[in-house]
Amino acid sequence: MMIQQIQQILTTQSGELLQALGQHLEISLLALLIAAVIGIPLAIILTAHQKLAEAMLQVTSVLQTIPSLALLGLLIPLVGIGTVPAVITLVLYALMPIFQNTYAGLSGIDPALKEAEIAFGLPRAKRLLRIELPLAMPLIISGLRIALVMIIGTATLAALIGAGGLGTFILVGIQSNNNALLVVGATLSAVLALVVSALIRWLGTLSFKKITISLAIFVGLFGLVEGVTRFQAAPTKITIAGKLGSEPEILMNMYRDLILADHPQYDVTVKPNFGGTTFLFNALKADQIDIYPEFTGTVLQTLVKSPTKTNQNPTKTYQLAKKSLQEQFKMTYLPPMRYQNGYDLAVSAAFAKKYNVKTISDLAAWNQSFTAGFDPDFYHQKDGYQGLRKTYQLKLDAKIMEPSIRYKAIADGKVDVVDGYTTDAEVARYKLVVLKDNRHFFPPYQGAPIMKESFKKAHPEVVKALNKLAGKITEDQMQQMNYQVQVKHRKARDVAHDFLVEQKIINK
Amino acid sequence: MIEFEGVTKQYGQSRALDGLTLTIPDNGLFVLVGPSGSGKTTSVKMINRLIEPTSGTIKIDGQPIDQMDLQTLRLNIGYVLQNIALFPHLTIEENITIQLEVLEWSKADRQKRARELLTLVNLDPDKYANRYPSELSGGQQQRIGIIRALATKPKVILMDEPFSALDPVTRTQLQDLVLDLQKQLHNTVVFVTHDMKEALRLGDEIAVMRAGSIQQIGTAEAIFNQPKNDFVREFFDIERQPTTLTVQDLVAADLGTVVSGQPETIATTASIKALAQALIAQPEGVVVALDDQTQRQLTTTDLTTLIAKRGL
Repeated sequence: MMIQQIQQILTTQSGELLQALGQHLEISLLALLIAAVIGIPLAIILTAHQKLAEAMLQVTSVLQTIPSLALLGLLIPLVGIGTVPAVITLVLYALMPIFQNTYAGLSGIDPALKEAEIAFGLPRAKRLLRIELPLAMPLIISGLRIALVMIIGTATLAALIGAGGLGTFILVGIQSNNNALLVVGATLSAVLALVVSALIRWLGTLSFKKITISLAIFVGLFGLVEGVTRFQAAPTKITIAGKLGSEPEILMNMYRDLILADHPQYDVTVKPNFGGTTFLFNALKADQIDIYPEFTGTVLQTLVKSPTKTNQNPTKTYQLAKKSLQEQFKMTYLPPMRYQNGYDLAVSAAFAKKYNVKTISDLAAWNQSFTAGFDPDFYHQKDGYQGLRKTYQLKLDAKIMEPSIRYKAIADGKVDVVDGYTTDAEVARYKLVVLKDNRHFFPPYQGAPIMKESFKKAHPEVVKALNKLAGKITEDQMQQMNYQVQVKHRKARDVAHDFLVEQKIINK
Repeated sequence: MIEFEGVTKQYGQSRALDGLTLTIPDNGLFVLVGPSGSGKTTSVKMINRLIEPTSGTIKIDGQPIDQMDLQTLRLNIGYVLQNIALFPHLTIEENITIQLEVLEWSKADRQKRARELLTLVNLDPDKYANRYPSELSGGQQQRIGIIRALATKPKVILMDEPFSALDPVTRTQLQDLVLDLQKQLHNTVVFVTHDMKEALRLGDEIAVMRAGSIQQIGTAEAIFNQPKNDFVREFFDIERQPTTLTVQDLVAADLGTVVSGQPETIATTASIKALAQALIAQPEGVVVALDDQTQRQLTTTDLTTLIAKRGL
């Protein structure tokens, strides 16, 4: 089962995997290079200043003890999100093994040899290049190896702040309960670490001269590739990002297709799985991304200061969110799509038929305790089960279950009712029926593109293109698309494109 | 000519050298000898400025060394270290010619010089030039250490207790080598040792040092026969004290006849006094076992040969 899934991922997503592998390697090598360029000369200089060196050893050790996630978080207000903070974090981590090993290698040289090289009148550069660095080389190489293996491991976290890499697969795997994806991401990252570690070990067996030449060639090639990539940057650049998950990824790809349909020459970058709400919002504020899809309810609850956190009327919620964003952040919130993605209650098709329930009131009307499996958050929250129970006078025998398990439980007939999100792929997968919230208890969550006012003014043509999606996409359609991506493992890009074509929103 | 003029070296409260005034003549083997802490190593390391004096002047051929270019000075002074200190990652050839690299000799010239020097100390260049130091024995390594100091044809060669880590047999061989090379090349050699026997054997002139100052300077004979003070006399008394030679020394000097299948009658650790007593009891000879198979028979002639060679 798992092996088949992995095979499927390897065949259907080989392009993405290669790209992620490339990104991962790029971030890692860049970080290693920077750390080496800082760490090795620093160690060389500080070898002559023992007290400073001790202090530096302390500093690098302390850096090492900061949890990588915390470090990533600390850097966001300073340098934003994406590749830059990821590389900075990795560099800080890699500094310790590189600095420490180089320092240990240089200061561990037999004092008699140092006396000899001085007594022979060898100039400083000659001593360093001919005697000291070659003698320290085994330790320096092992420092680089430790650093790179650590970097490759830690770089999986870079996905959290939108730097991409293999971590994306791990994150999506965890989020969508897709173990195969997780295994693929983790295995590839481990294999990558082993391969480069072996490569560096091999490098260590060469003579000092060959090592220097190999490193020079590597740095040259790396610089060339980076340079060429940078140089090729196209005219109008638009970056679209989105949160973790299939739904934001589908929406981002729709935005991209809509823009490209009108302006094929634009360079539109899609950054899926870019992290959580606050990450994205800060990235937007810092001009690191231009557009991302956000829910009306989330805007009100998390992003803006607003006296009323919820409003049962979708249109009013949108208007309030739009106004607050404009006033507080000078941002534009385009008209939302049709579907609502919020909490819901779902039952199996058989159950719906047997008890003839279509709405939550229908369910409450049965004077019978049905079993229910609820997500812990949903169970405890006032805008979840606690409020729902009062509003509808529900009498459920409710149990708390892990989110991933509850859909399985209802599919296996262990429970009658589960909570969920309106557009969850599992609704289509397990042929569930979503009960209508006929008393409008759940706050409305409608998705719409959010961007800076300055961007809107600079690119009215983009706004026009994106507005074609306003009022489109029903809950069923979104469920189907999520199902295609999460369960059928189709590419979000293809699913998005097919939908736009089918709906005749774009041609071809 | 190397001249020390009132050279003092102060380390905090303690004085390693106390107004040292000394002239080292050209083309001779000059030995600085004394117990540890006497300032002999400090003195020699001042000549190539590994240690700078607190006060006083050192001149080479009349020119104060602190006014000379440091690198030129060092490239023109050979230096042999106590710990040998061959660079482990360089081949023997590269070790010998490292200073010639700085002087920008061509690869071919460097190779030629290394071969010359290896031949000089009876090491086959074809066999040793491309080996690494760890593949050589301690004695061979110090031979390389010595010829490395000769590479730039320096006029002055400093040797800081170069043989103290070697076994007695190898030490004697290398002492012979140094004497031989000095006769051939006429360098000015400044040799530091704490071993009075070594000093007497090597020195054209010997300076006996104690607590940072010189007690007596003179030829081996003069110092041995007319010690200037109690310290010098006592220092040499060690040489006059009963010998510590053992049966092992006879074996090491390759004396005695190889025999087999005989019971051991004396241990290798026995003193030569015990050996002499045993030989009076067994005039036909005593047997010492080298290992399970081979033994050596030692006679009175072997004992007298050793004493003739080494002294008591």
